[in-house]
Amino acid sequence: MKKHLQVIGMVCPFPLVEAESAIRELAPGQELIIDFDCTQATESLPRWAVKNGHQVVSFEQTDDAQWQITIRKGAAG
Amino acid sequence: MAAKIVLGLLCGLALGFVLQRGRFCVVGAYRDVILVKDNRMFIAVLIAIAVQSIGVYALAGLGLIQLSEVPFTWLGATLGGFIFGLGIVLAGGCATGTWYRAGEGLLGSWIALFAYMLGTVATKWGVLKPASDALTGQKSEDVFIYTTLGISPWVLVALFAVLVGLIVWRHLRQPSFAVPTLKRRKTGLAHLLFEKRWHPFVTALIVGVIAIAAWPMSEATGRMFGLGITTPSGNLLRYITTGDIKFLDWAVFLVIGIALGSYVAAKGSGEFRWRLPDIKTIRNNFFGGLFMGFGASIAGGCTIGNGLVNTSLFTWQGWVATLFIILGTWVATYFVIIRGKRKANSGAAPSQSVAV
Repeated sequence: MKKHLQVIGMVCPFPLVEAESAIRELAPGQELIIDFDCTQATESLPRWAVKNGHQVVSFEQTDDAQWQITIRKGAAG
Repeated sequence: MAAKIVLGLLCGLALGFVLQRGRFCVVGAYRDVILVKDNRMFIAVLIAIAVQSIGVYALAGLGLIQLSEVPFTWLGATLGGFIFGLGIVLAGGCATGTWYRAGEGLLGSWIALFAYMLGTVATKWGVLKPASDALTGQKSEDVFIYTTLGISPWVLVALFAVLVGLIVWRHLRQPSFAVPTLKRRKTGLAHLLFEKRWHPFVTALIVGVIAIAAWPMSEATGRMFGLGITTPSGNLLRYITTGDIKFLDWAVFLVIGIALGSYVAAKGSGEFRWRLPDIKTIRNNFFGGLFMGFGASIAGGCTIGNGLVNTSLFTWQGWVATLFIILGTWVATYFVIIRGKRKANSGAAPSQSVAV
């Protein structure tokens, strides 16, 4: 199962706060796709994911000031 | 006037560019210590203070700049700092953060910025001036921490630099983990300036150097201080509404330069877009901006004036106000973000997420 989180329009730290609660509902190995447009989250989201034992499957810029990141939930998280 | 415009814009452009590319955010630095237990950006802020303190006392020692005495108004510093701290969490950015996010096209930051200017003008020169006078009337004789202690400023400058050095060393010694980055599309200088992730510590070093350079640049135009955001933000609104050019000083062009520099950086990196947040965020941004203007005005400075400049001078005002800004940030983070998060978690799944 994949879960899609739309946080376009949300400013930091809310994309990260939403990502934290969304990933809690996933089982290890499942993926969370996040669409976001807060510039500072390009730094904070991948950093948070890796720090908490998740894996960043893909990370790309989809448009001007718009990004998509896919995070696979780790065993520990 | 030409010197004010050129030197102010130059300093602002550089600062805005660096802040945007480095994602240098002081409210984020304070907030993330308790929100995500990450103090890397907080350490970066300490680096910027340490670098500036060495540079400023060196320039002052050589007689190249003059340091102004910032009075210690303890009631203003504590209460104002705390209210400013609440404000920056609601506004989603500190004073410079709001200016550079405005340059990225965030309309919520434009609203915060307008409220911040309005709050500043109302407190410093307008309807709230009596409250401001009452709160800043209590002045202490002590200006610099080192004169109270009866030591040379260099003792504090050196101690602080060593302390920050140790913290940085400890932080960098921790096992690092590879954080994935976006695909590289640019080469050479374009990659370095408009694409590459900047390490917060490198950004902090550059911010520190710009903060040092701000002193001689500003003083060349007769304004005897370093970086400052709150008063010039208020002065810009006063100039716009009165047309009186006496309000235009070096720092007004500095803040305009920050927005322009950030716009150039964001545009060049494909990170500029007009963005509108939801209604609740807009409301928070507006009231946050008002709190920022009031708080910074009675505290005698924001996260830059107090948090970066007055701290590097080792004034009581700088350190006490900064401590209370941090406290305000933490209280607001707890009530606005952490408790809100718990409430959302105990209810149904967030409405933004759908299974695909």
